[in-house]
Amino acid sequence: MITAEILTELKAFFPENQWTESESDEHLYGNGGKITVFPQTEMEITSLVKYAYETNKKVNVVGGGTKRGFGGTDNTADLLLSLENYKGVVEHEPGDMTVTVRAGTTFQEIQDYLLEFNQKIPLDPFLPAQATIGGILAANDSGPKRLGYGSARDAVIGLRVVYPDGSVIRSGGKVVKNVAGYDMNKLFIGAMGTLGILSEVTVKLRPIPKYESLMLLKFSEQKMEDARKFAVHLLDTVIEPVALEMMNPSLSAKFFRERVYTLVIGLEDVESSVKYQEEFVQKLQPSGTELVILHQEEAKSFWNDFYRNVPNGAVRPVDAQTEAIVKIGTVNLKVIEILQECQLLQDSHNLLIEAHGGLGHGLSQAVLRGAKEDIVSAIYSLREKAAKANGYVVVKHLPSALREKANVWGDKQPYQFLLEGIKAKIDPNRVLNPGRFVGGI
Amino acid sequence: MSKKGIQSKDPHVLNLVKIVGVDPVRKSILYKKEDLLAYDCDGFTLRKHLPRAVVFPKNTAEVAAIVTYCHENDLPFLARGAGTGLSGGAIPLNGEVIISMVRMKKLLSVDFENRRAVVEPGFVNLKLTNSISDKGYYYAPDPSSQYCCTIGGNVAENAGGAHCLKYGVTTNHILGLEVVLPNGKVIEIGKDGVPDQPGYDLLGLLTGSEGTLGIVTKITVRILKNPEGKQTVLAYFDKVADGSKAVSDIISAGIVPAALEMMDKTAIEGVEAAAFPVGHPKDIEAVLLIEVDGIAAGLDEQINQILAVCNSNNVREVKAAQSEQERAKWWANRKTGFGAMGAISPDYIVQDGVIPRSKLPEVLKRINEISEEFSLRIANIFHAGDGNLHPLVLFDARIPGESEKALEAGSLCLKACADVGGTITGEHGVGIEKREEMRFVFTDEEIIAQTEIRQVFNSKNLLNAGKLFPSPGRCVEVKNEIAAAAAK
Repeated sequence: MITAEILTELKAFFPENQWTESESDEHLYGNGGKITVFPQTEMEITSLVKYAYETNKKVNVVGGGTKRGFGGTDNTADLLLSLENYKGVVEHEPGDMTVTVRAGTTFQEIQDYLLEFNQKIPLDPFLPAQATIGGILAANDSGPKRLGYGSARDAVIGLRVVYPDGSVIRSGGKVVKNVAGYDMNKLFIGAMGTLGILSEVTVKLRPIPKYESLMLLKFSEQKMEDARKFAVHLLDTVIEPVALEMMNPSLSAKFFRERVYTLVIGLEDVESSVKYQEEFVQKLQPSGTELVILHQEEAKSFWNDFYRNVPNGAVRPVDAQTEAIVKIGTVNLKVIEILQECQLLQDSHNLLIEAHGGLGHGLSQAVLRGAKEDIVSAIYSLREKAAKANGYVVVKHLPSALREKANVWGDKQPYQFLLEGIKAKIDPNRVLNPGRFVGGI
Repeated sequence: MSKKGIQSKDPHVLNLVKIVGVDPVRKSILYKKEDLLAYDCDGFTLRKHLPRAVVFPKNTAEVAAIVTYCHENDLPFLARGAGTGLSGGAIPLNGEVIISMVRMKKLLSVDFENRRAVVEPGFVNLKLTNSISDKGYYYAPDPSSQYCCTIGGNVAENAGGAHCLKYGVTTNHILGLEVVLPNGKVIEIGKDGVPDQPGYDLLGLLTGSEGTLGIVTKITVRILKNPEGKQTVLAYFDKVADGSKAVSDIISAGIVPAALEMMDKTAIEGVEAAAFPVGHPKDIEAVLLIEVDGIAAGLDEQINQILAVCNSNNVREVKAAQSEQERAKWWANRKTGFGAMGAISPDYIVQDGVIPRSKLPEVLKRINEISEEFSLRIANIFHAGDGNLHPLVLFDARIPGESEKALEAGSLCLKACADVGGTITGEHGVGIEKREEMRFVFTDEEIIAQTEIRQVFNSKNLLNAGKLFPSPGRCVEVKNEIAAAAAK
């Protein structure tokens, strides 16, 4: 009924071939809409949002759909605003090392475009072929190379944001250094689309490294004290790895068919520097470990597989088992304990847990597969473990029916009132992605 | 007189004394006019106003108590570090109670394994690097005033420095903050320095908010390992256009220098007449100071590429530093560049625009025109690598009307930056100085979007009011008028 009403109203201002009615079955991962709209211009986005604001409709926002399973308790809003047809490079001046793109452009499309200029966005998010830049920023996704290149908050220099009332607000600018006014860019990164719809995104670029290699250092489960000592020592040397990521035995088994902890040391620089660092690390190799070095294309191909090895919220899992992704934040070296805990939980909860974490940045990620009760219970155990280290657990992917039980964002912070205050100022009617964020924001 | 030695009739001063106590050695509060005079401005000296008092808390609890008192009694207040800010962010325009953070100056802890340190806000920037350099670590943000500016002030201003081209500015190095909110409540964000805490990125929002959203009382920063090698090169160009082309070409070659600095002819005249001359030729139009760092084995290749770029852009002379002393000398020459203008002009204003690198020649030309239009010399010192220009407008305040002229010329330089898609400040902040220039880059709606955020934190607007945004109230009034009109 409401759907029919919305359709009639939409017809008045929105091109008819740019929407679809949703099928009746509910999406496993929720965050849908009765009608999906596909705007192609910023003007179309603003007119849709203005319409929703004025008629008190709720809007969910989606890009490639990879993060449908991330947050949110309502399965369906009035409108699902899809940015997948709102894509392309808006501006790129190679000498400025910045690019402005529309939010619906997939990460891979941008990187492919930039490759021609020997440049790249210095981020390494998961599912680059499906994930859009808007979604990556809204969810603040990052990968192992954030050790070397930073995360979204370090790369983004400007945004055009469609506010919940349909106005367009710019934050930041097109220059790499900017302290004019509040750094509003930061508010929208990781906000899960609850404050505005990212329309255009301007990011800093880096040159493509001239050479890269990947050193895989394998430690047996009994040698984790050695692994820790090695990592501490390596971090105290002049070596400049762009990634220093530990993989747990389950993840190692998938990639290398060996149930060992694998320390992935990513090196990117001019060739002479990379080779020097390889030799340096080889000299430090602890006894009883195995070391494999991948160069150039082999290294690239490992990373490509690595970024693909997570569940995609746009795709139903092939079998009946439940899949989850969690992000765990701790101080850097606590990552080892988190990974060990994952391995224990895998056995005690009859799950498959593929986990990795950065010893230089403190973020771990684990993919859990198994029965749903076991997954929820494992998430709680992991959260307890992280809390003891002053850390946190956020559930990045889980079927919507389980999300409340798993308490996606964990407990509220003492400053939740500030977060709610910001939401109330920008989106008082709670038009955008209602309930998607921390504490039900 | 409620306390021994305190002779003030201001009941608020007497109540503040109850919070900070009377210190027999160091004053914990200043309230006499002669003492307050030193606090009537900061590094921006064109506007002055006396504070009501200056208090020197020793810990977070005292800061919170002072703030709570001000909040409950509707007293304007603001925080101040070393007072080196260049945009007037710490000037007590409204007769504020100044909360000086200089007694909270401890290095609380260093965790080398996890690469972080915790400092109090009054801790001096360079002291952090000096405290950890024996272990081979440093703190990256290096504003030119780093020998005296405080890390608390750096957080407020999101301070940059010469090396932020490769390593980023303050916001990229802040992992956690303890903050006294404008109502006196204390919160901790980025607990333990753990990244990506769930919730909106308050760390990022507070950094660079110019002391208008809260007072930082504890800071967790990232520390970095010293790069293995460093190489520094000076390149002299007869034409400024060649120098700027070389800058672009270096970046386009895929090199990420640690620093890429440029000075023009007038700036060179200044630094050579001041305390740290290095013998730059007087007749060149531009000097580039280029530094690369990282794994030593990879640096020669980068330096060779840089030399090739300079040569293909008609460089007159290019030389590499032969020793650490020589490198230090070149940097001292550059880092004292602003002050050096005192050697060739009685007064100067520092501006702080940023432009897309590719627009450098165009903007330099425009700045030249402005210089001619106003008959004022303008020296240019840039962080050229990231497009951050510091035009220094030279003038003589004793000549009636010349200060105003200089201000206007400075403002036009910022307009020139904004007009090519740049911005009005890269690292000095808006403060009082550039409030009106905010309109060069933001619409009224966008400014309101920011003041709305201030409302969430600073609802009574007692904390550092009148900074950052143009004519406070005006846009809100306009918005209210529009809303009222729409309601009819």
